[in-house]
Amino acid sequence: MTAEAPHGAEAPPELVQLLTPEGERVEHPDYDIDLTPEEIRGLYRDLVLVRRVDLEAVALQRQGELGLWASLLGQEAAQIGSGRALTDADMAFPTYREHGVAWCRGVDPVNLLGLFRGVNHGGWDPAEHNFHLYTIVIGSQTLHAVGYAMGIQRDGAEAASIVYFGDGATSQGDVNESFIWASVFNAPVVFFCQNNQWAISEPLEKQTRIPLYRRASGFGFPGVRVDGNDVFACLAVTRKALADARAGQGPMLIEAFTYRMGAHTTSDDPTRYRVADELEAWKLKDPIERVRAYMFKNQLADQEFFDTIDAEADELGRDARRRCLALPDPEPLAIFDHVYAEPHRLIDSERAQFAAYLEGFEG
Amino acid sequence: MTTLTLAKALNESMRRAMEDDPKVLVMGEDVGKLGGVFRVTDGLQKDFGEQRVIDTPLAESGIVGTAIGLALRGYRPVCEIQFDGFVFPAADQIITQLAKMPLRSLGKLRLPVVVRIPFGGGIGAVEHHSESPEAYFTHTAGLRVVACSNPADGYTMLQQAIRCDDPVIFFEPKRRYWDKADVDTSAFSEGWTPLDEARVVRRGTDVTLIAYGPMVKTCLEAATAAEDDGRSLEVVDLRSLNPLDVERVVESAGRTGRCVVVHEAPVYSGFGAEIAARVTERCFYSLEAPVLRVGGPSTPYPPSRLEDHYLPDLDRVLDAVDRVFAF
Amino acid sequence: MKEFRLPDVGEGLTEAEIVRWHVRPGDPVKINQIIVEIETAKAVVELPCPFEGVVSALTAVEGETVEVGRPIISVDDGTAPAPGAPSGARAEEGLTEVSADRRGLTEDMVPHPPEQERRPVLVGYGVKPGAAKRRPRKPVAGASGRAVNGDADRAAGGGAGAAASFATLPVAGETGAVPAVPPVPAVPPVPAGTAVPAGRVIAPAKPPVRKLARELGVDLATLTGTGPQGTITREDVHSAVGLAGRAGPSAVPAAVTEERIPVKGVRKATAQAVTASAFTAPHVTEFLQVDVTRAVEAVGRLRELPDFAEVRVTPLLLVAKATLVAVRRHPMINSSWDEARQEIVVKYGVNLGIAAATPRGLLVPNVKDAQTLSLPELAGALGALAETARAGRTQPADMAGGTITITNVGVFGVDAGTPILNPGESAILAFGQIRDMPWVVDGQIVPRKVCTLALSFDHRIVDGELGSLFLRDLGAMLEDPLRMLAWS
Repeated sequence: MTAEAPHGAEAPPELVQLLTPEGERVEHPDYDIDLTPEEIRGLYRDLVLVRRVDLEAVALQRQGELGLWASLLGQEAAQIGSGRALTDADMAFPTYREHGVAWCRGVDPVNLLGLFRGVNHGGWDPAEHNFHLYTIVIGSQTLHAVGYAMGIQRDGAEAASIVYFGDGATSQGDVNESFIWASVFNAPVVFFCQNNQWAISEPLEKQTRIPLYRRASGFGFPGVRVDGNDVFACLAVTRKALADARAGQGPMLIEAFTYRMGAHTTSDDPTRYRVADELEAWKLKDPIERVRAYMFKNQLADQEFFDTIDAEADELGRDARRRCLALPDPEPLAIFDHVYAEPHRLIDSERAQFAAYLEGFEG
Repeated sequence: MTTLTLAKALNESMRRAMEDDPKVLVMGEDVGKLGGVFRVTDGLQKDFGEQRVIDTPLAESGIVGTAIGLALRGYRPVCEIQFDGFVFPAADQIITQLAKMPLRSLGKLRLPVVVRIPFGGGIGAVEHHSESPEAYFTHTAGLRVVACSNPADGYTMLQQAIRCDDPVIFFEPKRRYWDKADVDTSAFSEGWTPLDEARVVRRGTDVTLIAYGPMVKTCLEAATAAEDDGRSLEVVDLRSLNPLDVERVVESAGRTGRCVVVHEAPVYSGFGAEIAARVTERCFYSLEAPVLRVGGPSTPYPPSRLEDHYLPDLDRVLDAVDRVFAF
Repeated sequence: MKEFRLPDVGEGLTEAEIVRWHVRPGDPVKINQIIVEIETAKAVVELPCPFEGVVSALTAVEGETVEVGRPIISVDDGTAPAPGAPSGARAEEGLTEVSADRRGLTEDMVPHPPEQERRPVLVGYGVKPGAAKRRPRKPVAGASGRAVNGDADRAAGGGAGAAASFATLPVAGETGAVPAVPPVPAVPPVPAGTAVPAGRVIAPAKPPVRKLARELGVDLATLTGTGPQGTITREDVHSAVGLAGRAGPSAVPAAVTEERIPVKGVRKATAQAVTASAFTAPHVTEFLQVDVTRAVEAVGRLRELPDFAEVRVTPLLLVAKATLVAVRRHPMINSSWDEARQEIVVKYGVNLGIAAATPRGLLVPNVKDAQTLSLPELAGALGALAETARAGRTQPADMAGGTITITNVGVFGVDAGTPILNPGESAILAFGQIRDMPWVVDGQIVPRKVCTLALSFDHRIVDGELGSLFLRDLGAMLEDPLRMLAWS
């Protein structure tokens, strides 16, 4: 079974959607999901909290407390939906924007802030959270995820890996090589492409002439396009893909069709290259509003619930800010730490030189 | 004369080159509408069109590989690699193809490809955005490697690089992109200082500081500060790393008898080693002290809150100056 | 071991300056590999290596003037023992390890640059302005700024501390500014009655001091160093030869009011040649002003002809051609005086010399057998000759055997001069600048292109009559280039 469009079809690609922008629940023949009210409330909470932390981070950057921040605004559903599909045994390989997935994997948001503040390059233990370090070089992590999946395969483990990347990354050689490897070795890996329509200033048509999910068929595995702003659909499709992978059915490409509501990073200025109408159109497809509307309509939560979540979000934002500002600048000799796993005489002598140099200054 | 930032001077230089030669193309990620993440290509696509200013797919190997193909067809592509740390996917095309193809043809093929790389740190950026990978390329025969340090040189050197029939790796000091200076934006001239020539940018008698790219300014600041110590520091801006203008380096180092090489890249196996070796070979009996190198430690570029400790600064340069006087 | 001696690469040259070595000791060399560029009195010449092996020593340095026959390089062809191992190993052993004392690195000692305004760069925090002043360093106990040879005053400003250069530089210890010179290898205690091991122990000395010692013939092994950590200073070397107190090479001279340039290379050769020529051949110079309007027009016409598409056509080309035609009409002008045999040697072929100002000085390369060349060939030969001269690649053979010379002083913007004969020749023509002048044509004053020709000749061979006829013919041909055809 595959969600791929019929061969040669010119029809618009089939978008897997379970919750419309208006908050209406819809059915899909291949992907469905049965969520308890508690699970739905949990997803809503995740979405609100990660957006709140993201807003706080943007603010911190604007205040000079972070060097940079890559906002996930608009991509919360893709990240929470896929992130919550993972089991503890699954392994996730992020880009530098997967703050929502990091949240699902239990990585403290302050770790992410620390990276962008410049106190370290990440520093969390990937094995503790089964969430790899952020990768800034575009697309490199796709091969790592495939290799990791090949390891799972050889271990005979009940797990899969998932790798995140963007629409721009699909042009990179590494990403295409990872497709080939995954296909040839039938690796238990899910390629989760968040197509947010923009690679900094370049629109999708600078990367591809066909819908991205259809690329998969050329490599020999299924691809599906899911409404990336629909957290239910993202959860359902990713769950299925991971389950198939764990069951030995090989890789799958999920194209989460979404939109980067903000700038590429805080250093970017999207007004130079895209029109406001586009943004306004996507605002109507907001990933949080539709869940909220659905919950209201179906009386899955009352105002008190929403107020509680909002208050929790604010507290989370405040806490993240407080702990971010409290992050100490690393001491200078930390430059020399962790370069090698084993003693290294060059590093040791340079560390000693630098310590003596610093000692020579007054106060 | 107009006052321009380095970014604008490079922009004007490319504009001029594109006006002078319809075969000149600009290609890279975000170089079109956005004008590049540093705005170095700002406005070029608007004025020269999408056929000549090409927003490429996001793949550095593809950028350089297709630039080679365009050059084979008679074009003169100017590639932008967005950041130093992103050049490595293109390293295969640069090292195995761009550098060697003309030789394989016994000189019948020429590859006038320029690869522009913003390099160096000091801008408080995240990982892979502050590196100094020049030594990888100076070590690759077949490539010319240059680094500009100021707006006036940016304007002339980039046009010279574009006109050069050899591949040129063109390093731009990103933390100096916004430094302003007077630039003579007149037409290309054979009378410009040749692309492969170094320049003494400050005369001095006691020590020769040798630098390129972002560290030239640091050395000039150090030389000014050193006046307080009663020391006269000469500063040589190498401009070209491959080929190296050995004669100017040796002339200066031999005259002052003391030589300090400064770059941001790690000292270990860095380009400074080449300078130190050549100065020692050529000036041995004039040297009052060993040639010292100031650069980064043998560690990856640190997170931004540590970069002030990693990067050579005025104090680090003058510390080395003290040490060459201690011999 | 094979030695390569500086060969005579020209006509009886006696010396050459080493311009640039292409090889270093330790380099492998192959037969006919270019090893060195030398500059003789007349040309820069590349010397190919006659041996295969490994360079063991260069016995002449760049900039040095070497007599022909002196060894300049030795090449180890495998039969001789290899040269001694480089001293790098010893330097490595001498490195003092610093003890990493991080106790003092409390938070308040970590340098915190004052909050400075950063400039945005679109990525990251932005750029901090560079510091203008040094950060103050701790004073260092015992750091008197002691340094070699009067550098103490300058070193005093330096302060202490270890280098942060991350190079393989030994780190100064607590004594601070004492230079990081590898410690002197200690002489092992020698028990009585045992033989002293071979090898000498020399106190460290920096390269200029070593050079000074070599120049003064001082054996460093005989000295005890008085400099920091026992290094040998310039004073130590001077003392050894009784020159104590003499200013070393580093002493700053008083006010410099003049520059002294050694006379060598082309300058030396030119001086000798013109002096010899001026004082052996009695020179007479005659002048003729010529209306060259039609010659200039002819140059323009020639340039349009396809035959001349690949070559440069200049007025000099016509002057050269006219000279060749005039020589044909007056062969005696193309001759030389053989003092020894008391004979006049009339040359059948014309090796037409063109004086050229090059970066290396005055050179007079010549076009061999110029009388045999077609006009396009002559143009090509003149162009090649000028290009070679400008590039500094003129070879001695290019300058040998000249029979008559043209010097194009017009390019310097002057009208005429009294040129001195190229030695061994009997005539030289100075060709002045062409400029617009009032000229009388058919009773009317009209602007015309006019230039002055000046012919110097050796009065022992060329009488006033012959010289005048030759000059008049030249003028006639430049006034009306068709005469060149008529007289060819």
